[in-house]
Amino acid sequence: MNENNGGNLARQKAAEIKNLIKTYGAKGFQAKVLKGIDLTIYKHDFIAIMGPSGSGKTTLLNILSTIDKPTAGTVMLDGQDITRASNRELSRLRREKIGFIFQDYNLLDTMTLQDNIVLPLSLDGVSGKVCIEKARELADMFGLKEHLNKYPYQLSGGQKQRGAACRALITNPELIFADEPTGALDSKAGRELLECLKMVNDGGKATILMVTHDPFCASYAKDVCMLSDGVITCRISRGTDRKEFYDRIVDVQTSMGGDFSCQ
Amino acid sequence: MSMIKLAFLNFKNSFKNYLALILSLAFTVLVLYNFQNLIDSQAFEVLGTRNRDYIEMLVQMVSFVLCCFMFFFIWYSTNVFLTGRKKEIGIYVFMGLSNEKIGKMYLMETIFIGLSSLILGLALGALSAGLFQLILLAISDITVEIRFRPGIRPMAFTTAAYGIVYMIFVVKGYVNIVKSSVLSMVSASRQNEYVRQNRMILFVKTVVGVGILCQGYFLALREGRIEVMVNALGAVVLVTAGVYLLFGGLIPLVIQFLAGRKRFLYKKQRILWMNSVIFRMKKNYRTYAMVSVLMLCSVTALATGFAMKGRYEGIIQFESTYTFQLLTGNGDLDGKAREAIEKENRIVLSAQIPILSLDSSYINAEMQNNRYAILSFSRLKQLAQETGMKLETEELAEDEVIRLSHLILMSFITKKTGIQVKIGGKTYRQVMDTDAPYLGYLQESIDFYVVNDREYERLLAMGEEMYTYNYRVGDLEKFPQTRDSLDRMIEGLGEEAHTGRVAIDPENNELDWIKVLYSICIFMFLVFILASGSIMFMKLYNDAFEEKERYLVMRKMGFDRQILRKSVEAELMAAYGMTFVVMAVSSFFSVKALGKMMRMDLTAVNVVSVAAVLGILAVWYLLSVWAYERNVGMERY
Repeated sequence: MNENNGGNLARQKAAEIKNLIKTYGAKGFQAKVLKGIDLTIYKHDFIAIMGPSGSGKTTLLNILSTIDKPTAGTVMLDGQDITRASNRELSRLRREKIGFIFQDYNLLDTMTLQDNIVLPLSLDGVSGKVCIEKARELADMFGLKEHLNKYPYQLSGGQKQRGAACRALITNPELIFADEPTGALDSKAGRELLECLKMVNDGGKATILMVTHDPFCASYAKDVCMLSDGVITCRISRGTDRKEFYDRIVDVQTSMGGDFSCQ
Repeated sequence: MSMIKLAFLNFKNSFKNYLALILSLAFTVLVLYNFQNLIDSQAFEVLGTRNRDYIEMLVQMVSFVLCCFMFFFIWYSTNVFLTGRKKEIGIYVFMGLSNEKIGKMYLMETIFIGLSSLILGLALGALSAGLFQLILLAISDITVEIRFRPGIRPMAFTTAAYGIVYMIFVVKGYVNIVKSSVLSMVSASRQNEYVRQNRMILFVKTVVGVGILCQGYFLALREGRIEVMVNALGAVVLVTAGVYLLFGGLIPLVIQFLAGRKRFLYKKQRILWMNSVIFRMKKNYRTYAMVSVLMLCSVTALATGFAMKGRYEGIIQFESTYTFQLLTGNGDLDGKAREAIEKENRIVLSAQIPILSLDSSYINAEMQNNRYAILSFSRLKQLAQETGMKLETEELAEDEVIRLSHLILMSFITKKTGIQVKIGGKTYRQVMDTDAPYLGYLQESIDFYVVNDREYERLLAMGEEMYTYNYRVGDLEKFPQTRDSLDRMIEGLGEEAHTGRVAIDPENNELDWIKVLYSICIFMFLVFILASGSIMFMKLYNDAFEEKERYLVMRKMGFDRQILRKSVEAELMAAYGMTFVVMAVSSFFSVKALGKMMRMDLTAVNVVSVAAVLGILAVWYLLSVWAYERNVGMERY
């Protein structure tokens, strides 16, 4: 694995994955989906995980976001091994340290956009005044100020997904996991979302781990890890030019072969 | 595969889903059958023809109420069933089935459900009828040996009543499907997109609803004479409509207003449950209104039951003020009467007072056919002192009267002030209407008016003065011997004394039908509260399935199970709470109206009845929370 961490030594770790293995199925009929993943995520990283269908992207994201448990290996998040944490601790971790952006937005249709954004904060017992201030600040950043009182059914896909991003960011989580965030959006809405994510990441406000099959989407990240057959085969970094980075991603993707389509 | 076969297979496979509906329908069949069966049972023969006739009349009235209830319940449940099926029907449309064919399938499936419920209800009814009678009689405190055999007539009546009502709504559902557009059937599952309701519409509903409700409450409390019956009916209609508009207007308006105050809303799980309540309100407000009205019926039935029990005891006590009463033209009978009684018993209370018996043509009061008599105020005061009863009025003016009435079960005449009575051509102002038992049982058969002594003297010329001798004995076991002794004394007087005798037999059961009425009220209370609870439970049970996806999202986001649980508890508490509060407020007026008709203060009865409903509702609430958490998949957290 080509982990470019020379300049990162002084940086603070957000998460550290060591020898992560995940197998499915009964004894004798097991399928090894993850075959020993090692990855360190530093604060303010923006990493995209790419790989063909069946490479283990979603499994990796599910384990990192504590929704699934690994067969072996450790995942250190905020100094705690989440593979050994109790359900209660996992709930707390998900609530306080992790933010989620799902492919299908997952906004609650019974609430206005503003209510959806402040939901994690409000459930945490933060005062109404702070909730409102933070929601407005984020909505402003994501171009949603005019839509705060609308219900999800009144919003476009892009607006919903940007709303979901605001919801993920409002608790200032250590890490944001984004699962194919542009998968259900048209190219314009997808670009707007990615610009927003890039902006908050560049502004030092978020560490993002994104799973995607789309090289254009991945080109907004600082680093791209290629996952193939359960292992990270290479890691490429953006540099300064996003277009050039995009070409490199496509080249690597082509050399790897396989089906990169959305699952 | 034929349509019948397909419909039967559908019914068989979805039996578990239909179970709640089948059980609820079977329950209504069971209750109606059990009440009808009371008429044919010989359990009440022993109470005499008069009691049996009264009870039969009561059962028929209750059956009518139950049929009305059945009508609304079947309307509601078939509606819920049809809405649930519409999503599935959309799939059939895509499969190329015509509306008529889908309608026929629905028709057959609902007939299978209806038949299963009827058979189950009748079978359970036949099994439980003996137990039902046993409990009814035990609550009524009536000892009768029960010989039970299931009757054909009650079964036929129940089947016919249920069958007619059920078929009306099955056919209505069929017509609904046949006439539905394909688009509406396909998009049935996407009909609840709009969360908030239009504020202007809510405002209009609020104003109209509050107005109607207040008018209903006003009518319930309005005093009057025979128009009270019309007022009572008007109050029932207006309160029902008002409650419906309250849930459709004021309550969502208030909740939406509160949810708009974000600083108020963003307080832990409040953001979740308040938004859920707003979302549900548009779909559920009719159910909440119906449950509230049903609970109101339940409380009123229980309050009636309690009041009847109290009144029965009161009447028995009233009638038993004196064990023996003599009404005679002989002004010097006390010594002989005492002697006759004391031969067999001891006298614990005695009083005598002359009365002026007047022909009803001299009196222009409400009831022309009653018997009337006049008492002088000073003699009544003296009697009150002798018997230890209170008479809290000063001397009467020349144009004032006091009416001595008796305890009645219920009267639509509630206005007791400003009444004028014409006696012997002169108009008197009725200053008091008392049911103190100064003259015991005689007050039940004669209407007494008390006037001041000068007026009494004046009226003497118009009627005949008679004497009453009243005695209460200490040993009721010796009642027959004492009565016989007194009768022998009266026989010895000869015919010219014109002596009439009243004897209150402690074993007399002529009022036992009131006790049965009390038990029936208790059962009606149970029927209504079980129905309201089960409707609420069914509604929330189904809502939970729709919420499953939302809870899955929240689970993914790591929301604490405890917080989600508290949110569910608060949401369901809001649903149960608002129906309860509306019921409790309305019950104040319905029970107050009942109290006016029964001429007694039922405040305590109201509080106890509402508390009883609260207790049973709390059980339904806990059950609903448990089922809701299961259905949204919270146990997997």
